[in-house]
Amino acid sequence: MSELDQNQLEAEEDTQKGKFLTFALGSEVYGIEIKYVTEIIGMQTITEVPDLPEYVKGIINLRGKIIPVLDVRLRFKKTAREYNDRTCIIVVDIKEVAVGLIVDTVAEVLNIPEQDIVLPPQVSNHDYQRYISAIGKVGQDVKLILDCNKLLNDEEAERLEIVR
Amino acid sequence: MKVLTVDDAVFIRVTLREMLERHGYEVVGEASNGIEGVKKYNELKPDLVTMDITMPEMDGIAALRKIKQINPQAKVIMISAMGQEKSVKESILAGACGFILKPFNEEQVIRGLSKFKS
Amino acid sequence: MVSEYSQVSGPGLFVFETNQLLDKLELLILGSEKNGGLQASMDEVFRIMHTIKGSAAMMAFQNISLVAHSVEDVFYFLRENRQTTVDDSKLTDLVLSVVDFIKGEIAKLETGKSLTGDASGLTNAIQAFLAEIKTLDPVLAGLPLKSDYEVMRQSFIEACRIEGEEGQTICEAVVFFDDDCGMENLRALTVLSELGTYAQKLEYAPGDIVENDATADLIRYEGFRIWFTTTASMTALHDFFAQVMFLKEYSLMAIDHSDASKPRIPRCIDLDGPLVTASESAGQPADATGDSEQSLAAKQSFISVNVAKMDTLMDLVGELVIAEAMVTQNPELQDLNLDKFFKAARQLRKITGELQDVVMSIRMVPLAATFHKMTRIVRDMARNLDKQVELEIVGEQTEVDKNIIENIADPLMHLIRNAVDHGIEPVDVRAAKGKPLTGKVRLEAKNSGGDVWIIVQDDGGGLNREKILQKARERGLLDQDDSGLTDKQVYAFILKPGFSTKECVTEYSGRGVGMDVVAKNIAAIGGAISVDSAEGVGTTMSIRIPLTLAIIDGMTVKVGDSVYTVPTIAIKESFRLREQNLITDPDNREMIMIRGQCYPVLRLHERFKIKTAVADLYEGIMLMVELEGKSACLLVDALLGQQQVVVKALPGYIKKMQGIAGCTLLGDGSVSLILDVDGLIQT
Repeated sequence: MSELDQNQLEAEEDTQKGKFLTFALGSEVYGIEIKYVTEIIGMQTITEVPDLPEYVKGIINLRGKIIPVLDVRLRFKKTAREYNDRTCIIVVDIKEVAVGLIVDTVAEVLNIPEQDIVLPPQVSNHDYQRYISAIGKVGQDVKLILDCNKLLNDEEAERLEIVR
Repeated sequence: MKVLTVDDAVFIRVTLREMLERHGYEVVGEASNGIEGVKKYNELKPDLVTMDITMPEMDGIAALRKIKQINPQAKVIMISAMGQEKSVKESILAGACGFILKPFNEEQVIRGLSKFKS
Repeated sequence: MVSEYSQVSGPGLFVFETNQLLDKLELLILGSEKNGGLQASMDEVFRIMHTIKGSAAMMAFQNISLVAHSVEDVFYFLRENRQTTVDDSKLTDLVLSVVDFIKGEIAKLETGKSLTGDASGLTNAIQAFLAEIKTLDPVLAGLPLKSDYEVMRQSFIEACRIEGEEGQTICEAVVFFDDDCGMENLRALTVLSELGTYAQKLEYAPGDIVENDATADLIRYEGFRIWFTTTASMTALHDFFAQVMFLKEYSLMAIDHSDASKPRIPRCIDLDGPLVTASESAGQPADATGDSEQSLAAKQSFISVNVAKMDTLMDLVGELVIAEAMVTQNPELQDLNLDKFFKAARQLRKITGELQDVVMSIRMVPLAATFHKMTRIVRDMARNLDKQVELEIVGEQTEVDKNIIENIADPLMHLIRNAVDHGIEPVDVRAAKGKPLTGKVRLEAKNSGGDVWIIVQDDGGGLNREKILQKARERGLLDQDDSGLTDKQVYAFILKPGFSTKECVTEYSGRGVGMDVVAKNIAAIGGAISVDSAEGVGTTMSIRIPLTLAIIDGMTVKVGDSVYTVPTIAIKESFRLREQNLITDPDNREMIMIRGQCYPVLRLHERFKIKTAVADLYEGIMLMVELEGKSACLLVDALLGQQQVVVKALPGYIKKMQGIAGCTLLGDGSVSLILDVDGLIQT
């Protein structure tokens, strides 16, 4: 998608601007721009696909459409946690690729005004740092805003994994 | 106003349909050759027929003659190309009430047909 | 153009239809080349060119329109002068170059490029050709009829009057047409023809509008003048003129009787009798009508459908089949006594089954169009290589899935090129060998079981076993003693990457596409290719392709918690292992010995890293699979059942992996991976 198209989309989706879907991984709260989110579903039967990175759990059947699901915990190199009835799959559509993101639990939809969104601190030793595009301040809390593109297509990260 | 378009080129038929429907004409049928055109004329009794001249099976002039036999008052407009003077003459003498030359544009078609819109 | 009106509909339909016409034209030309020249099919060639010209002009593709027009002119002339003799091969070449040119332009259009081709050279050549055949005919050498504008003008300036009878009004009307309407003289003729209902006597100027098309210019600038006697009211006459197409302006007035003087130039026209020229050409199409009336019914019963819609329909039917199974085989229905329900369910199943069959059959397309493209290739190559080659097409009506058609054309073209280029010998060589001078390439399609076979056979020089073996040794493709290899195994080497036994590179080889690419492309659509040959006698390439890619018969098997689908076509048998069958080779590889044959063991749970309780070879089920002569025994936990499944592609995000061909939805809505047996055996 060209920048122009993106701008147009953003203009059209003015009502969605500044809105974020927040979800939790353990004690940390993350946000995804609402425009990427198509739906939130409960845990599904996942069909494992061999020879994939650990964080790609497999594929699911979303009303006849086959989409891959990623475990965000594993993507961020956090310890795995067993899925329970609070586990959710957030279906996002990024550049026309539909992907399910498995998260501990979905929190709420938040309005974060532009002035409360700041760049993340440069120094960090966390693996998930690379997937954070900004930090949103809501009262005393901070929400880590995800860079969805990187989450899906981080070639650099792939290479690093191979080296390890 | 009900129009029947007869042309062997789908492209022309679709183009005409789009043009006409944008201007309140009702394209009630399409035919891809003369035989089919005469048949459809009989069935649909359109107010106006646009008729290509060069077509397989039965050409537009023969079809025009048949339609005129069915209904001497039938309004048939020939769709012709530059260089087809001879065929155009023939069709006028056979009772065509006018002709449109290819290539045509929407404005021309609508202008030409507007004379028949009552 | 005025902007309030949008341009004609997009180029998609134009591209589609023109391509169809061009294909038809090409067939026609190539067919007529065999059957005594273009004369027989010139009506159709004329019509096709006429249609292309018209449509191209509508799209404002001047270059296409002009070149098509020039061909149309030639055929128009030939139609009118059927006795004219022409150089058929020259005409054929000209028309084919026009086909190529237009095809090239259309291809640009399809890829969204602008049309830049210059056909003026071609157009000139065709016009020169037309001029040439015209001079051959002394009677027609003087065409066309043109008259001097000034003379016309002179004659027009002299005013004209006619006399009326009692009770009739004499009227004079001057009519001007819209600037862009064209053929003004014939517009004027239309006015006369229609005015005939109101007028008794009728005179007009200019007077030679029927014979002289140059009067169009005069009318455009000076108007068309009519004098007539009528009993109709002026209101009725005004209504009449208001209905004339493309009428820009007109004046209508009753004139004084006494003023009348005899007109000199205007003349009367007999509105009831046809023109001589008109009756002449009217006979022509009428004849054609009788001949082809029967074929009409068949032609008209086809419609064109967008492929995307077909694919959607196909998907939906697939979903329907699954949904049907989910309802009728719902576990909650078990142990219930529902006679009526199951009766209705059987009916539903029957209908969905039929629906599926019909949808599948809709996607089936005959190979004819693809095959006939090859005719042209063979013809052109034979000419350029100075060989004599005849292409024989057998079974062109054989149908395969639309997806397959799209993917088979390129490999097929390559095989045909190979056959003509490398297979068929030059004429002198054939003569020396005592073979018929004209080489033969046979392109055959046939159904056999669930597969379609496409066979390309030539009666050329054949393959040389020793040369291939030598090359294989050079390339390091042979690692052991080669004396035991069968001919087929040896010939199969030519399908390997980087293998070519041809030293000379001609226009048609050495394009960077080898037989290995052909083999790969065919494998990509689930097919396989094999080579057979006899030196000096010829070569046969046999391609086996599945009828369809979209629905396959599958065996569902369980491995741990996963359910995989194995294409039934690849399964030879399933069995439980007995101790005496298992052998271990020195490298500690497990092999199963059945009926004297050794098969390697592939534990699916190991291959796919799945946790399962059934790791022991004796506990699980062995599934013997075979594809293209290679076999293996797969260890699975259990067999679940056999069913037709709709093949779906894996999401693009998941990179293609060896051993998995795609996925499918099972009756319970879960996803099952479909094994790629070929890929599994290779690893």
